[in-house]
Amino acid sequence: MSFAVEVNHLKKSFGDFQAVQDANFFAASGEVLSLLGPNGAGKSTTISMLSGLLAPTSGDACIMGHSIIKEPEHAKASLGVVPQDIALYPDLSARENLVFWGKMYGLRGTVLKSRVDEVLEVIGLSDRQKDHVGKFSGGMKRRVNIGAALLHKPDVVIMDEPTVGIDPQSRRHILNNVKELNQLGMTVLYTTHYMEEAAELSHHIAIMDKGRIIAYGTHDELIKMVGEQTRIDLTLNTEAEKILSAWQKTEGVSKIDSADGKITALVDDSNRVLPRLFDAASKANVRITSVDIQEPNLETVFLHLTGRALRD
Amino acid sequence: MRIFDLALKDLSQMFRDKRSLLFLVVMPIVFTFFMGFAYKNVGGDPNVDNRLPLAVINPEPDAVLNKALVTRLESSDSIRIESMNEMDAMDTFHKGGVAGVLIIPSGFSDQVSAGNEAQLTLIADPTSASGQSLYQLLRVPISQLMSAVEISRETTDILGKADSSAEQSAAFDLAWDKWTQASKISLVKMEQAVAEESSDWTGGNPYNQSSPGILVQFAIFGLVTSAQILVQEKKTRTLQRLITTAMKPWEIVAGHMLAMFTVTFLQTAMLVVFGQWVLSVDYLREPIGVLLVAVTLGLWVSSMGLLIGVIAMDEQQVILYSMIAMFLFSAMGGTWFPLETTGGAFAAIGKVMPSTWAMTGLQNILIRGLGIESVWMAVGLLAAYALFFFVLAVWRFKKIEV
Repeated sequence: MSFAVEVNHLKKSFGDFQAVQDANFFAASGEVLSLLGPNGAGKSTTISMLSGLLAPTSGDACIMGHSIIKEPEHAKASLGVVPQDIALYPDLSARENLVFWGKMYGLRGTVLKSRVDEVLEVIGLSDRQKDHVGKFSGGMKRRVNIGAALLHKPDVVIMDEPTVGIDPQSRRHILNNVKELNQLGMTVLYTTHYMEEAAELSHHIAIMDKGRIIAYGTHDELIKMVGEQTRIDLTLNTEAEKILSAWQKTEGVSKIDSADGKITALVDDSNRVLPRLFDAASKANVRITSVDIQEPNLETVFLHLTGRALRD
Repeated sequence: MRIFDLALKDLSQMFRDKRSLLFLVVMPIVFTFFMGFAYKNVGGDPNVDNRLPLAVINPEPDAVLNKALVTRLESSDSIRIESMNEMDAMDTFHKGGVAGVLIIPSGFSDQVSAGNEAQLTLIADPTSASGQSLYQLLRVPISQLMSAVEISRETTDILGKADSSAEQSAAFDLAWDKWTQASKISLVKMEQAVAEESSDWTGGNPYNQSSPGILVQFAIFGLVTSAQILVQEKKTRTLQRLITTAMKPWEIVAGHMLAMFTVTFLQTAMLVVFGQWVLSVDYLREPIGVLLVAVTLGLWVSSMGLLIGVIAMDEQQVILYSMIAMFLFSAMGGTWFPLETTGGAFAAIGKVMPSTWAMTGLQNILIRGLGIESVWMAVGLLAAYALFFFVLAVWRFKKIEV
């Protein structure tokens, strides 16, 4: 199998703080690999190194076989990067932005014109191409932001949380774009802290936390790590500390954690464990105000691996 | 090619901004008029003799050659002769009352007539514009005097020995040869000295100072625009995207620099045209020299502006750093007032400023009436400064982590 992206022992430190610690992962040609983790996990730092925005403290990575350290220009030529923030000129129109970025990727003449037309079609903004980007909604800006990275038909597209802060309609449009790009044969490296996006899009998922890759595999492989455990989210009419220690000792509860007034528990069998939790709450004079039961998912995996919820 | 594309994008953005156009076009013209009027009021008296004052120590004023030389110099449009004794001349020179002192040695006329060596001495500051000008202005009449002596002597000798037409022709050829040789011989030895220069030499037109002054000053104001380009790229995160393309760091810096250079050069060209046709400042007297100064001035300003842009974290820092540089380079570079009118320390510091050399280059052409050779040093130094700041900007740019 040929790898479009190979990351080997990549590290990045800012002073004493180690933002990325010994990251290793691979993305095969033509697949979607998601880097999933909470804010501050090191996802953006990792892809910043792959994009040439940050120099690694140690380690190396290859894009289409080109080292980001030894052959940065060759590695970059194979890349299309969609930054987390909108990276466009607000005083230029959508078309002018795309033409400019196409030139920066080395496109010229009729090839450039036809690629700009195609990309405008793909991102659904052909009818607004002459409008200044500064007048666009957040979702439309995001779509142009993605389009600018696709002009030169890169082998690998890196997308850094492209759906942050946008409306559901634009989000759906972007997720569909990712799938279409992948169907065209592009390798997509996608970072997100939304586990449902990673689940929907990815062939492989690398879960990051505190600068480390803590799990890597397909969606099903990762789910199997937590076995048949079910996740239960509970909210209380009082502080979680009153009942947390009692619930930790309850038979069938493998992990329990509280954050933002919500308690998240991993249990073996929710039908049997839930009555025990209610019973313990009654004895502690605590009232449960809501219960949400979820079958095993990536959120459950993260909780299992770190003892914390992905949203923390 | 991508360098040009980046520059074109920058230019397109700048020319869409009405405020930029106001600053680039209208303000320099208004300021040129304002400063010109200011100089006219301060130093524009038509009765003032603007010729370079030269003290002449002439112990034998009635000697033939002494008389011929002084008479010739007195008729000059560029030099004003003041005859003095040696002590007064040196005292006046050190106080800045004259631009130089010419010493005619005792027996000069007799020695030269007899074919012996006798050297004239010019005491002046060779690093000052007035010192250099005096040296150049004295070379021609003195060379001609010496040649005339040689011709007459040789002709007398030949005519004393023969009167055939062939020998007369030979004498003529020999005389012409002596003319040529005489111009190659350094007949004036220049001694180094520093004087306080205090005269107001604007060549009679106050805009000869204000027009190049505003031209250089507004080019320096381009530092802000130049630095803002990179800071705006950082702010809009487009610099981040540029770095992820296959463009090399030096190409990104060069692309932005090309845009800024174009703007500065166009502004300078506009002010030259305005100065030439509206203010009668004779830039076209030496067009190649003016062009070279304008090009290297634009390169220096754009490279330095980009260095500020690379270093600055935000717009406030751009303003702060640029304002410091602008005031320093404008004031100490002689764009607000001639450095000749300032004290020695101020003028000495000014000599390391690139802006001083831009002004020197233009003033050598406009005020001192010198040729293209007078701008080579200015052009060379401005180009060296531009290269230095460009290399520094690229080096610093490579260290940016966005």
